[in-house]
Amino acid sequence: MQLSQTYLSMAESSTAQQILDQEMIARISRRDQNAFSALYDRLSGPLYSLAMKMLGDAAEAQDALQDVFIQIWSRAGSYDAEQSSVFSWAVLLTRSRVIDRLRARGRRLRIVAGSTEDEEHGSATDASTVESAADTAEKSDEAARVRSVLTNLPSEQREAIEMAFFEHLTHHEIAARLGQPLGTIKARIRRGLLKLRERLHT
Amino acid sequence: MISEEQQDQAALYALRLLDADEHAAFESELRANTELRDLVRELREAAGDLALTTPSLLPPPSLKQRIMSGIERETERVVPMPTQRTPLGWVPWAIAAALAVFCGLLAFDRVRLERQLADIRAVDPLMQTTFFTLAPSAPAPADAKATVAWQPGRQSGVIRISNLPAPQAGKDYQLWAVDAEHKDPISAGIVRVDKNGVAQIRFKPVEKAEHVKAFAISLEREGGVPKKEGPILLVGTT
Repeated sequence: MQLSQTYLSMAESSTAQQILDQEMIARISRRDQNAFSALYDRLSGPLYSLAMKMLGDAAEAQDALQDVFIQIWSRAGSYDAEQSSVFSWAVLLTRSRVIDRLRARGRRLRIVAGSTEDEEHGSATDASTVESAADTAEKSDEAARVRSVLTNLPSEQREAIEMAFFEHLTHHEIAARLGQPLGTIKARIRRGLLKLRERLHT
Repeated sequence: MISEEQQDQAALYALRLLDADEHAAFESELRANTELRDLVRELREAAGDLALTTPSLLPPPSLKQRIMSGIERETERVVPMPTQRTPLGWVPWAIAAALAVFCGLLAFDRVRLERQLADIRAVDPLMQTTFFTLAPSAPAPADAKATVAWQPGRQSGVIRISNLPAPQAGKDYQLWAVDAEHKDPISAGIVRVDKNGVAQIRFKPVEKAEHVKAFAISLEREGGVPKKEGPILLVGTT
């Protein structure tokens, strides 16, 4: 069977693409290694990038990614399409595994402020590959679009979302760090996420 | 109507920021509130998109090999059945037998459709038919199944569904063709099952679908929707 090898561009992730992802997950739940391999090809880039951003260490990011994909293999049957797309499910799974690692090593993550700026990962590039220009234009365009939408959110909303998502600070911690009332922080996170969703998917 | 406070909680829940008590309380609220569940899903999608804002990196190729080896080991580690006889020792065999019957039924469905279309081929030997087996995906029942015989040349097909209970009031099942040339799935119409959960219907997608990669059935608002909105219940490639 021919599996789609097209890179998954997530935010634009068309409904058609989501259906194919779902089909792939269904096949993985039936222990189809070809489907697993194809899903890895499609998701490993963004999931690894996320793990790298949160952990700042290539070896740890690879270990986290390995945990995530083993979990996808063993828990594909529990995936519920009503709760999220395959991509979001995998992203949130990755984030959870990374947070587990951060907690386990008992240190706060190293975060580089401003997810919209390009970063240098130092020794990380020894073991990982910065995506080449050969990567599809579609993929780059999509990532640029998401970054642009995030950048154009009101700065206080973007800041709260980034602290919550990438640094895994609770709303209480964000409020304390920014010296703002708890209700204000909750509202910033909510409004920011809603705007992000609205602008990416309309 | 979702209150602002509920929206706040939904955003924190989607980002997994609620503490254990708040989390449990919100999940209980979610179970009773469809609108709130939809909002959480939307917010989860937004959270997922945040991953795309990170600088693009690819893991080293060796990682894939490591992971593929890992899943092979995982597969091999399947615990062997105990050899000691127990009062319920027949259960695994019964499950295996049921699965065999289920597979047999799937094969039977396929053969039946193939036979039905043999006549069409006889009339038009150049007409090609592709078969798609659709498997259930939560929240469809595990034994729901469908087979599609698709004729790209005629832009029409036949679908046979079984074990799919009728949808709740105000809802319909809708068939979609997932085509490589279209960003969104193409509607192939409403599919209504009988009281036994069975349907056999001829269909024709509303737009030309020359590169169909999969068919799917979703649960939609009564009368169908132009663009898929509801959850996918059955999906399958060739």
